[in-house]
Amino acid sequence: MPRACFNALLAGAVLALAVPAYAELTVSDPWLRAVPPVSPTMAGYATLNNTGEAAVTITGVSTSVAGHTMLHNVKTDDDGNRRMVHLHHLEIPAGESVVLAPGNRHLMLMKLTQVPAPGDTVEICFHLNGGQDACAVFPVKRASQSDG
Amino acid sequence: MRKLPYILPLLLTLLVVGCGKQESDLPVNTRLGGEFTLTDHNGEPFSQSQLKGKVSILFFGYTHCPDICPAVLARVAQVYRKLEEAGEADQVQPVFITFDPERDTATHLKEYLPWFKADIIGLTGSLAEIREVAKQYGVVFIKDQEEQDYLFTHSDYIYLLDDQGRVRKLYPADFTIDEVVTDAKSLL
Ligand SMILES: [Cu+2]
Repeated sequence: MPRACFNALLAGAVLALAVPAYAELTVSDPWLRAVPPVSPTMAGYATLNNTGEAAVTITGVSTSVAGHTMLHNVKTDDDGNRRMVHLHHLEIPAGESVVLAPGNRHLMLMKLTQVPAPGDTVEICFHLNGGQDACAVFPVKRASQSDG
Repeated sequence: MRKLPYILPLLLTLLVVGCGKQESDLPVNTRLGGEFTLTDHNGEPFSQSQLKGKVSILFFGYTHCPDICPAVLARVAQVYRKLEEAGEADQVQPVFITFDPERDTATHLKEYLPWFKADIIGLTGSLAEIREVAKQYGVVFIKDQEEQDYLFTHSDYIYLLDDQGRVRKLYPADFTIDEVVTDAKSLL
């Protein structure tokens, strides 16, 4: 089966399964930055909305295309140097949203087993403190509008 | 038609004045830059003097960085494409210097960079050589060991060099594409 078809089926299946069950954390504007096929890592971005009435904590992230997926933050020191730091937990207060954006908090996919190409989609699941998962389908794009 | 002999000198004068005015007003940065020799993505020695005659867009990074570095590469590629549309890309050279020579070998850079379709020269070398170049450009990079992987803390300026290899302007990683295009054109 061509990968695009498989991905579309997968996307449909994921949407059908994930959306009704875990309504308190929704994922909007998800995307993964396309990288060269030899790239060992890639980054993902989205807006995470807590639509519930209690705080939600993300305790982990996973996807089948990466051996290791993390939430990262970018810290800038006094000299303007930037570094990425592992965010072990991310709490989103009730009714609030957290933006994952380039040069800011982001999803970091490491040890890629397969590098998805522009136009492909990848399912990524956020593991929540209650033991639930909130999954979303991330399309792979060359760049965002903010990249000009 | 008979007027032409009179108009011609005037046109020439205008042309000369016009060309003179093209001189960029970007100041020469005398604190940063300088001669260096590294290894290019073909495994050949590459010295900074080989960039002379072209305007270059120089930047540092590492290919295992998925967030800021590919974003900068993509933006530099967009600058290059705009210059290509203007027919001036052959006078401009993007140059990517890794500070992760352990993983960014010449072979890896040769596989990684062409995807951006911007004729980017990838440079690597020994850690000592790269440290020296980084120092010349005021670039800081610190290796952070985190779990089974390592990352870098780094400054992420982009440098615009004129055709004599002198630094003329610095930009932050989220630079405006049109600004770099305009500045690069002013140096041609
Ligand atoms: Cu990261």
